[in-house]
Amino acid sequence: MTGIALLLLAATAGFGAARALRLPALPFLVLAGFALSFTGRVEADFLQDALVLGITFLVFVAGLELNPARLHRQKRAALLVGTVQFGVLGAAGFAAALGLGMDPHTAVYVALALTASSTLVAVRVLQQRRELFEPYGRLVLGVLLLQDALVVLLIPLLTGLPRGIGAAAAGAGAALVLMGVSWTLLRALLPRILAWLSLDEELLILVVLSLLFAFLLLADRLGLPLVVGAFVAGVALSSFPVNGVVRGQMTPITDFFSAVFFTSLGATLGMPSGTALLQALALAALVVLVTPPLVTLLAERAGHSARPAILSGLLLSQTSEFSLVVGLQGVVLNQILPETFSVIVLVTLLTMTLTPLLAGDRVTLALLRLHPTRWGRPEPEPPEGHVLLVGCGGTGMPLLETLLIGPHPLMVLDDDPAVVARVREAGVPALRGDASDPAVLRSAGADRARVVLSTLGRPRDNEALLAAAGSAPVLVRAFDDEDARWISALGGRPVLASEAAAGRFLEWFDRGAGRREDDDLEEVEQEEVL
Amino acid sequence: MGVPGRLQALSLEAGGLSSPATRTDGAVPAMYDDPLVRELGLILATAAVFALLARRLHIPTIVAYIAAGLLLGPVTGVLQATHGGHGAGGVALLSEVGIALLLFLVGLELSFAAIREVGWVAVVSGTVQVLVSAGGGFALSLLLGFAPLHAAFLGVALAFSSTVVVVKLLDRRGDLGETYGRIALGILLVQDLMVVVALTVVSGLGREGVADAAQLVRQLGMALAGMLVLVGVSVGASTRLLPRPFAWIGRSPEALLVWSLTWCFLLILGAKAMDLSLELGAFLAGVSLAQLPFNQELRRRVDPLVNFFLAVFFVALGVSMDPAAAWGNWPAVLALLAFVMIGKPAVLLAVIPRLGYGERVAGLAGLTLAQTSEFSFVLAGLGLTAGLIDAEVLSLIGVLGLASMGLSSAVILRSRRVYARLRALGLLRIFRAPHEGRLDRVASEARPGAVGVLRGHVVVVGMNALGRRIVEGLRSRGEGTLAIDLDPDKLARVPGPTLLGNAEDLQLLEAAGLRHAKLVVSALQIEDANNLLAYRARTLGVPAAIHAFDRSVVEDLHRLGVTHLIDSKTAGARRLGEALRDEGVYG
Repeated sequence: MTGIALLLLAATAGFGAARALRLPALPFLVLAGFALSFTGRVEADFLQDALVLGITFLVFVAGLELNPARLHRQKRAALLVGTVQFGVLGAAGFAAALGLGMDPHTAVYVALALTASSTLVAVRVLQQRRELFEPYGRLVLGVLLLQDALVVLLIPLLTGLPRGIGAAAAGAGAALVLMGVSWTLLRALLPRILAWLSLDEELLILVVLSLLFAFLLLADRLGLPLVVGAFVAGVALSSFPVNGVVRGQMTPITDFFSAVFFTSLGATLGMPSGTALLQALALAALVVLVTPPLVTLLAERAGHSARPAILSGLLLSQTSEFSLVVGLQGVVLNQILPETFSVIVLVTLLTMTLTPLLAGDRVTLALLRLHPTRWGRPEPEPPEGHVLLVGCGGTGMPLLETLLIGPHPLMVLDDDPAVVARVREAGVPALRGDASDPAVLRSAGADRARVVLSTLGRPRDNEALLAAAGSAPVLVRAFDDEDARWISALGGRPVLASEAAAGRFLEWFDRGAGRREDDDLEEVEQEEVL
Repeated sequence: MGVPGRLQALSLEAGGLSSPATRTDGAVPAMYDDPLVRELGLILATAAVFALLARRLHIPTIVAYIAAGLLLGPVTGVLQATHGGHGAGGVALLSEVGIALLLFLVGLELSFAAIREVGWVAVVSGTVQVLVSAGGGFALSLLLGFAPLHAAFLGVALAFSSTVVVVKLLDRRGDLGETYGRIALGILLVQDLMVVVALTVVSGLGREGVADAAQLVRQLGMALAGMLVLVGVSVGASTRLLPRPFAWIGRSPEALLVWSLTWCFLLILGAKAMDLSLELGAFLAGVSLAQLPFNQELRRRVDPLVNFFLAVFFVALGVSMDPAAAWGNWPAVLALLAFVMIGKPAVLLAVIPRLGYGERVAGLAGLTLAQTSEFSFVLAGLGLTAGLIDAEVLSLIGVLGLASMGLSSAVILRSRRVYARLRALGLLRIFRAPHEGRLDRVASEARPGAVGVLRGHVVVVGMNALGRRIVEGLRSRGEGTLAIDLDPDKLARVPGPTLLGNAEDLQLLEAAGLRHAKLVVSALQIEDANNLLAYRARTLGVPAAIHAFDRSVVEDLHRLGVTHLIDSKTAGARRLGEALRDEGVYG
């Protein structure tokens, strides 16, 4: 009891600090656990149990998220970016670890720990930016899912290495088979079984947990590490709607055990030596310096424009909670030294704390200036007295049709090459470029336009536009009242999409209230045409 | 000791993370070498199988868990007993946490408003019932030949009814809002308070054994004084200490959960420091958090944790039982069982009508409470560790609990029919109560809260700019709305009833009366939550209007059969076009 209370107390402090500083909680939980270790009040037995349960639930939930349907059109892009980043960073990490004087097996551990990026951190930043469902957000998500799976598959390979290549390959093969079976068979089968059982919450938790522990025991029988079993159990439950239902019930349990896991992980750490600190700094620098340019390059190759590509790179430039899993695995099996484990933890803490500071608009814009291919070729003569439409994605198109009827010349500015091509096909002059770049805005004639319309996804991206657009009225589509006020304050004219959508919903409600469902279904068709 | 030393403890046992390496070197068998994972796996799997079977037979899950424990322990001997979960080791710790969390949850239910609402009916009838039942049980046990101390223990253990069983079954029948349901619930709350006193007394008695009367009195005094201190601390904290920090952290759900649990464990440590039971500390921690605005949301978050830990607790309890000892004394089992199932309802039938309610309400409430409590097991476990009772009494209490819970849940599911039958037989005439009482209806109409009242309303999830406007628009049309969000600040700005919580949570949607809603609307910009909500609305046959905030989410929503898509981007673009016209650029 005292042990749990102390770990929770540390977690409370960690969460408090993270909330006050608006940073991810994970590093603070580990630090709080580390501080706790100086009291000497937490017993090793208890810590081990906490670590075992914590790691199990953490990895299980990661497996639960492995649902490629969420990636939409970004599957191939994620595959490209994910594998190449994994490979390059792994190779660089291996070389760096050798250079830092580690032995080859330790270096492989360190390399694997460096390859994965953190789902917890990246998803949190994407949520804060409300860009989880933007194409690049889905790309980042896909890369993260892929890397989680890769790390889990490679852990048995790594732990098997001391027993020879054959054993290692057998381990990885067994993990692959297990994953394959649960992916193809159980993923389709379990939803039906669970639907047939139609469980209440209490029973659902029990059944899900028994499944989890069954997989743990199965993995053990196959000579695989626990984490493989936990991950595969998650994968087996990862199809919709089972994953959502399970997540709803498992979240409190996972929250509890994750908090306990990260603090107890901190409590098992020792004071790092000077060498360890230096090594950690070097490896963290490697991650932060290699990942962004690499991912930017790959993401652009996969069809993303420069700014989202740069942001993707920044978002992926940290090591993962799975790195901690890898390190813990190594240290528990006596395959790496506690010192090396400390290095891995330190790298993770450093890079995770850096990410929210780096992955913002300021750094992105600064990097954008360094970007070699600035496509905004200045137009020979910027147009004048035209209607400038900034951002012409899916919903901008119908608007464009309305505008074409009008008497004024048109100009479209968008950063998506596909959109620009489509607009040009419709006979409208279009410029590909970033609307937050003043030079691009000048060549689009933002300051000389009759009127400027903006449908940019993030209202705050309009800052440069509002500054550039001299006396021309700027109509900006916004969703939040807060954003609308901000746009007004900068001299723009906000058009509230939320208000418009609520209005249209209420129209539908007035027509549809009290009618049968079939009638309503026709409504859907109508809405779709828009 | 430095790091290597501390970690050595981790790696020596190695089991934590499986160790193929050590397995090949040493003689460790192929079976998992971490006892915790193996034991937990066994416990959970057996519990799941039994619970699934039990559900088909309409037996409460607690009975199934204990039966699973009996199978694992006394019957097959796969697991060894650790005496009421108070030994050492991971499973014992987990079951201890389970019982603490259960009391935390019970405390969370108990807002000061709920205490007022339950009123004197529950207090009077609950107190009378517990005292009479305990006295009757004590007398009966003496008659059956038990030693006075054991008889007293049996009497107390039989007096309480099971909160978990009753709440679960009434909820399933939708009777929590009925007058009899509310009275039963009130009596259970009163009992919970008295259970805490009983637990305190038992753990106070247990420490040094019962030397003499003076010492007993002194120990009781100490225990009561400690209790007063803890009550003072928790009540004071609920108004002064807790509200601000918890409002500050409240926007982060996982942090809120951990903060609340920390508060729970802090009070448990406080209780232990004053030689009080950990149950008392957990209960008071729950009560002090129950006064904060998000207590319902917190309850829903703690609930899955409780389900997990409690399953472990009850299975472990079954493991430590010795049913053979009880079967040896079957006349006592039968006599006490009859007392629980007939005597306890009779007391309520005698008391409740004197307080202005009718025979029907009293009869239904009585039938609902005709079983022993899960706390009887806890109490017995404590008594055994304290050396107050022997294994025979423990198993007697266990068997009585199993039998009475199993039988009474069958009765509760048919309580109206059973009541009608009893009435037709004329058995109830001895209580000379009017069939209808003057207060029967008042209470059921006064019921506030979400359960059972909301019908034909519109549930709106996500109080962003869109959700808020939709709620305002619907209310101006005279529609009933219920607004849901995770952020208390956002809910504060919305008119009409609100509910704090996560829309992915099924219990929240139940509390929102989703199945009775005429429409559910989501303004959320979260793909997973929207899809899940659409799916659940379709399963319940409730029309759904979901915010399609991006093109990429439209396809899935269509597949899920959403009634109406709220396309905010198109609506915004359209509004842009209109604004352009106002600008004088067109027409």
